[in-house]
Amino acid sequence: MTRQRFIFLTLAPATLVLVTLALVSTGGALWFSVMNRALRSPDSEFVGAYNYLRLLRDKRFFNALEISAIWEVVTVAGTLIVAVLLAVLVHETVKRALWRNLICFAFLAPVLLPRVAAAFIWRFLYSPSLGLANWFAGLFGIGPIEFLADPKIALLSVAVVDIWQWGLFFTVILVKLLETLPQDPIEAAMLDNARTWEIHAFVTLPMLRGPIISLALVKAVESLRSFDLIFVMTGGGPGTATETLDLYAYQSGINLGGRISYASAMSILLLVVTTVAFTFIWRAGKKWSR
Amino acid sequence: MANISCTGITKSYGAHPVIDGLDLTVADHEFVVFLGPSGCGKSTMLRMIAGLEEVTAGRITIGGTDVTDLHPGARGVAMVFQSYALYPHMTVADNITFGLRRLGVPKDEVARRLRDVAAMLGLDALLDRKPKNMSGGQQQRVAMARAMIKTPKVFLFDEPLSNLDAKLREKLRTEIRKMHNALKTTTIFVTHDQLEAMTIADRIVLMRAGAIEQQGTPDEIFDRPATRFVADFIGSPTMNFRMGIIRNGVAEAGSIRIPLPPGRFAVAEGQEVELGLRPARMGLVAGDAPGAIHGRVVLIENMGAEGQVIAEVNGAEMSFVTKEFRRLAPGDAVSFALSPDHLHIFDRASGRSLLNKDA
Ligand SMILES: Nc1ncnc2c1ncn2[C@@H]1O[C@H](COP(=O)(O)OP(=O)(O)O)[C@@H](O)[C@H]1O
Ligand SMILES: [Mg+2]
Repeated sequence: MTRQRFIFLTLAPATLVLVTLALVSTGGALWFSVMNRALRSPDSEFVGAYNYLRLLRDKRFFNALEISAIWEVVTVAGTLIVAVLLAVLVHETVKRALWRNLICFAFLAPVLLPRVAAAFIWRFLYSPSLGLANWFAGLFGIGPIEFLADPKIALLSVAVVDIWQWGLFFTVILVKLLETLPQDPIEAAMLDNARTWEIHAFVTLPMLRGPIISLALVKAVESLRSFDLIFVMTGGGPGTATETLDLYAYQSGINLGGRISYASAMSILLLVVTTVAFTFIWRAGKKWSR
Repeated sequence: MANISCTGITKSYGAHPVIDGLDLTVADHEFVVFLGPSGCGKSTMLRMIAGLEEVTAGRITIGGTDVTDLHPGARGVAMVFQSYALYPHMTVADNITFGLRRLGVPKDEVARRLRDVAAMLGLDALLDRKPKNMSGGQQQRVAMARAMIKTPKVFLFDEPLSNLDAKLREKLRTEIRKMHNALKTTTIFVTHDQLEAMTIADRIVLMRAGAIEQQGTPDEIFDRPATRFVADFIGSPTMNFRMGIIRNGVAEAGSIRIPLPPGRFAVAEGQEVELGLRPARMGLVAGDAPGAIHGRVVLIENMGAEGQVIAEVNGAEMSFVTKEFRRLAPGDAVSFALSPDHLHIFDRASGRSLLNKDA
């Protein structure tokens, strides 16, 4: 058997399943999006681009688009900043292998929690009367703070949970990556009078630029799938303060309106937007990481 | 003024000391080479002077200042690593000037010094390149430029040439020595290559298992090795050793008889010793010459200008070097002798040379 054929035969089954599933659901969504199907009546008819045109005049849709964009930027940037700072801190302060491994193990725990469990834990922590977060704020004479009910900070409060899960996970990855770096350039930098933070800012982190960009891309894709977290914590509220596109699609398609065709059009637009955006981000990422 | 002095330096990893109570002084402007087999503690010693490794006990001073507890950057030393240790994502210019920029040296001053150093090391055309687009020799030049631009009190080299091919190694070796002749910066250079050490050093510090075995000029180390270990380590081809005995002022080993100049060796009649004969100090002689060694040629290694002849003497091999090797063929009977005053005699038990100090 030639190598080509081997590759083809081993990849074919999985690819077939994936393509079928993706095509059927995408095709289905596309079909629904040009109809006026709704949950309350069984029949529907062809309406062409009507749903798409209505989307372009829907303020709530654009709000959701904006929330989604903010969510992406905040969670990706937050995760990376937390991970980089914590990893450097652990790398510099914890030298014993045993302690390091224990810390890494502890940092892995949050991401192993199911999203829904994490969401419930933090809803409790954020609770205005019973929550630990407000007890802490109280120590500094602040609060009580309505973490999830205040539209100004609700999205940020949910993002904190996401960053708590993924930032700590990425910290573990970065700690391990820092350990694999060659020591010589770091020692050369010490002899070149660089302080600890300068060594990391100018030598170690630039050496890890490729892996960090990869982590950012992984997180960006992952952040698109935060429906469960936001749904459990705020359900998109208060008002539409935390309503991302997938939440709005769910609300209008299944939950409230039952307007399946409208939600399908939204999903199709979401698909197009993310595909285009990620193509650009991917290209840029590949260029930077070189 | 940048003399270095190390007193009572001890370094342990766990319970086992790698270096044990080592004392060393390096004079201002001196070019000292740490030489020794791999694993004997050369790098460890160098890294302690650089501050990259903590000392377990002992003090280090540079230019009269106790630097034992100073940060590496504060010691005024620059180091060149075997692996080059360049900052991989920075251009050559940024690599070289990194240290000066950390010190906040003004921009035009940095640019001026960069130009000088780049010109001296022939790096002008490469300043915008990244390290990965350069050959090993070019990368090591950049590392040297990075060390030089800081005008340090002390240069430290840790096997800087070991990753380069033989030709380039020779070329850079010459350049390093020329650089030292011009700048006169106190230098410690680590190598396991005895030829490199011989050619470049003012003084060789020969180390063995974390202690100094002998230190001295290359000539002293070559011609007056203090121990059998030094004699064996230095010189290529390596020295021939034979178990022997002293009888009537003659060193005897099998059929070999070498008369001893009176007073040269501290040996007693009938003492059991080990003789050392350097191949490079031997040559062909007539069969009846005094001190002649008779053997049968086993193998001839052509080294161009001269050849190493390996002969069988009393059932063991002994080698010597001669320009007239082309006259010989394997199987020939051959007579050769050691030049006068080049015999080495070692105590069998301690391995110490029995040469008298003033002889
Ligand atoms: N970090 C370390 N941990 C334990 N042992 C070490 C460490 N570094 C060096 N050694 C030991 O110290 C000895 C000297 O090492 P080194 O100075 O690198 O030798 P050299 O440079 O002469 O080849 C070696 O036996 C080595 O195994
Ligand atoms: Mg070494």
